[in-house]
Amino acid sequence: MRDLLRHPTGLAGAILLAVVLLAALFGSFLAPHDPQLFHPATRLQGPSASFWLGTDQFGRDLFSRILNGARTTVAFGVSATLLGVGFGAMIGITAGVVGGWIDSLIMRLVDGLLAVPDLLFTLLIVTVLGGGAGHALLAVAVAFTPGMARISRSAVLSVRTREFVQAAVARGESRAYIIGAEVLPNALGPLIVEATIRVSFAIMLGATLGFLGLGAQPPSTEWGLMIAEARQYMFRNPWCVAAPGAAIAIAALGFNLFGDALRDLIDPRGRR
Amino acid sequence: MSTFSINRRQVLAGIAGATALPGLAEAQTATPKPGGILKVSHSVRIAQLNVLQLSGPAEYLAVDMIYSGLTRLDPQMKPQPELATEWTASPDAKTFVFKLRPNVTFHDGSPFTSADVVATFKAILDPATKSPARTVLDMIADITAPDPLTVKFDLKVGNADLPVSVAHANARIVSAAALKEPLINLDTKANGTGPFKIETFDGSRLLKLVKHTGYYRPGKPYLDGVEMYLFPDLAAESANFLSGAMDAMLEVQQADFKRIAAAPGVNALRVPSGRFSNIVMRMDTKPFDDIRVRTAMAHAVDRQMLVDLVLDGLGRPAKDNVIAPGYRYLADTPEVPYDPAKAKKLLAEAGYTNGLKIPLICSNRPAIRSQVGVAVKQMAQPAGFDIDVQTIPHDTYLANVWRKGNFYIGYWGMQATEDAAFTLLFTTDAAFADTAWNNQEFDDLVKKGRSSPDDAERRAIYKQAQELMVRDRPSIIPFFQDVLTASRSHVKNWTSSPLSRTFYVEDVWVQRA
Amino acid sequence: MNAGYLARRLLSVLVVLWIVSATVFGITQILPGNAAVMILGEYATPDQLKALELQLGLDRPWWAQYLSWIQGILSGDWGISMRLSVPVSALIAEAFWRSLALAAAALVAVTLIAIPMGVVAAMKRGTWGDLVISLFAYLGTCVPEFVTATILLVFLAAPERQFFPAGGYTPPGESLPGFLYHMVLPALTLCLILTAHIARQVRSEMSDVLASDYIRAARLKGLSEFTVIRRHALRNAMAPAVAVISLDIGYLLGGIIVVEEVFAWPGLGRLMIYALQNRDLPVIQATTLVLAGVYALSNLISDIVIAALDPRVRYA
Repeated sequence: MRDLLRHPTGLAGAILLAVVLLAALFGSFLAPHDPQLFHPATRLQGPSASFWLGTDQFGRDLFSRILNGARTTVAFGVSATLLGVGFGAMIGITAGVVGGWIDSLIMRLVDGLLAVPDLLFTLLIVTVLGGGAGHALLAVAVAFTPGMARISRSAVLSVRTREFVQAAVARGESRAYIIGAEVLPNALGPLIVEATIRVSFAIMLGATLGFLGLGAQPPSTEWGLMIAEARQYMFRNPWCVAAPGAAIAIAALGFNLFGDALRDLIDPRGRR
Repeated sequence: MSTFSINRRQVLAGIAGATALPGLAEAQTATPKPGGILKVSHSVRIAQLNVLQLSGPAEYLAVDMIYSGLTRLDPQMKPQPELATEWTASPDAKTFVFKLRPNVTFHDGSPFTSADVVATFKAILDPATKSPARTVLDMIADITAPDPLTVKFDLKVGNADLPVSVAHANARIVSAAALKEPLINLDTKANGTGPFKIETFDGSRLLKLVKHTGYYRPGKPYLDGVEMYLFPDLAAESANFLSGAMDAMLEVQQADFKRIAAAPGVNALRVPSGRFSNIVMRMDTKPFDDIRVRTAMAHAVDRQMLVDLVLDGLGRPAKDNVIAPGYRYLADTPEVPYDPAKAKKLLAEAGYTNGLKIPLICSNRPAIRSQVGVAVKQMAQPAGFDIDVQTIPHDTYLANVWRKGNFYIGYWGMQATEDAAFTLLFTTDAAFADTAWNNQEFDDLVKKGRSSPDDAERRAIYKQAQELMVRDRPSIIPFFQDVLTASRSHVKNWTSSPLSRTFYVEDVWVQRA
Repeated sequence: MNAGYLARRLLSVLVVLWIVSATVFGITQILPGNAAVMILGEYATPDQLKALELQLGLDRPWWAQYLSWIQGILSGDWGISMRLSVPVSALIAEAFWRSLALAAAALVAVTLIAIPMGVVAAMKRGTWGDLVISLFAYLGTCVPEFVTATILLVFLAAPERQFFPAGGYTPPGESLPGFLYHMVLPALTLCLILTAHIARQVRSEMSDVLASDYIRAARLKGLSEFTVIRRHALRNAMAPAVAVISLDIGYLLGGIIVVEEVFAWPGLGRLMIYALQNRDLPVIQATTLVLAGVYALSNLISDIVIAALDPRVRYA
């Protein structure tokens, strides 16, 4: 961890992440206004003493909405990724450990699914499930699954041939033990790195779904939805779009920088 | 740089019925100049041009230019002669005879006769055609053509509104020859009698029309052609209009209207309409079987604030009466003030002393539904309503909620007649009944009003019907939304109508500097 | 690289496409609601619905529908759009070239901008220039396409300072300058995102190469820095760059969906969104299949190019 903070990218990422996570955890307590309360007399205003980032079309306080939406948005990104990593790792590790025709079959399927671009795949699934935040989350998770399966499989393969695994095999350890105690911990590194970076993609995918009307729905304070709702008003009050846009960028940037720094530390070849 | 804010002032002064034609005074003094191309932008794809079936906002503009009907509604919603020059009704309003305009030709040069009228209406009445016009025309028992320039309608029941009904946007006349071909051909090809004919049609971006030189109104249309461009993104659409790349914008969003109206060289036009969003409360389910709960809901909605916040002020508060100012037989029904205290009391009387927790379903299209939902949730909170707004995809809404759920947001256009407005949602046999009101007295009044040819008698009957509706409050109609459109100031006579079905583009001309 | 390898790769592309076809068909079969309801919308009457269901063949079992669909795809009959009453193949053919033109423009621009950017960043590692480029690269990857598109719309196409048209499309046959002019903003949006991503990758590959022994050897030989970069370093960093670009085709295809929608570019992405919103099954199925096919093919081509560029890569 100390190494991470000494790494300039890691430090920047950690600071941004800390801000975002703080907002996600305590945002609703810190918010100066009720994020859903209308102030009809002060609609579409720029920043002022009482509304730090201005107000939206209903006169709701943008700053409070962004603080309130941090939890929804970050929780979306993190849980979609965790689910995707979970599904993917299960599939990938099974394929890598079992090998043989099951491995080829699974990997063929994974390759097939990887041939559909992320956003398109997500859109298809969301349309099937029927939109809404929960379904969007599931769709992003499913769309991440094939990629994560591929990564975890190759991580397993690269570990499988190492001496300590072969030693365990030679000792006659059970398969479950080898996977749990030897393979998994050592294959975890690349998975964590990939997952951290993917959180930022998940946040952006979620926002894009919100923009297309397929993700979170009003009156949610999810940031992508905030932009989608405010786009009509952007010429009257650019803050409606700029503020949540910046919030998304900060969150995505935080996860991205942090993930990159992690990668540099875990994979010494990439350390510069 | 003239901006016709006069129109807005007229509207604010309460001139209903959309007499506000843009630049009317100017048009009368200046002589229309023929020639020029008009570029119109719109945001909803033209999926098809089958005039008997279509229902998209841009499709209505297209067929208003390509086809003509027997009659057409003027901005006051009175039927005016179109392909029919005059009509007479029997005293019981059960037989109508229409005289047709002579020497009218279709775009391909073939003559228009009564055979085309008969074929068109037969097609509309055939369920296989899937025509929305059938709901207002299914009282037709038979249609015959005594001679090439006369058609006779025999109705199953008396209906004084037939001349309005035949003006339905989906009841425009298609040639008998075209109807002999497979119906699908009408989706992409059109042979009408309207002022413009198709040159190219690319549904993904452009419909190009050119002047029909054989149009039956002498000297018209003034324009050489009209091009309709599709911009699915609303911000891109308004940017293109304001930059001058487009001459007119079919529909302006409320959020953008003030900005566009304030721009130099733009005529922005507000047409008061009876378009509404309603809160459906199914009366055969709890808790809405209790009139006190429905009345509580009615008083928990601040209608003026809804107009200000959701419509950006571009509409009028309504009183739960589906008949908007602009219909012929509007009755004066009482205001419904925002009164959370009264609403709370009514809820308590109905047994909900601790308030009422209930989910309100909104489709995600158009966005106004969830905006209304979100606003109603906030307004109704002090009255003790704990509303959980759930916005769901439109298709899920259509499949699972619409006409099934008990508390959701509807969205409807203005109708041509009182009868059509009543039979849309509120009578027991209404085409899209979702109130479960099923009030025999109301049904009888509507039936009686329909066949009454006497104006004063009809007014009295429809007044009773409206009073019944407000008394029982089968659904909450909080506001009527204006139709908004805009054109560049070199475009003269561009307009829309309360129903957004007629646009009179044959009168439009351009005067470029 | 030999014929056997090529044949195997082509075969795997076909297998991938078959899997995609089955997946897409499966997905579209379990779409909620009834396609007929969706097509006719809110204002349909029950008899309209029944007539349409029969017409669409929605009453047949799923496997019969799949078989006849596959048969149709293979024989060039991609069905009729439920919503637009036009053959799907015609819709796709028309939209395909428009999207291809947009994607190609974006890719060419990206290659021209991103590779020099990455190279410069790698050479000037640790300087302000590197920092600015890296920051730009990070920001570019962290802003969703629709936000970038909106920002460009506000700054470059707002009515008061209209440098470019705010969306729309002119066919090249009608006016080539108009076609290109309309392409600028959507291509720029795609370009910004991809540039960020690719410049980052090129920078890191290039850094590796620059630190390698043979570059040091080349420098020691007294070759000019320009020659070292052009002849030795760039060549070796090229293959990974191509790999990255080909991977980014996936992003590009996703980005196109959003960008076409914002800028009214009537390509495959717009067609896809329209079809999804209107539950136009034949169009959804065909568009997905085409997009996946393009992606799989571009991966194949990039593999071949990488093999040609990098003598170290050998395929058995």
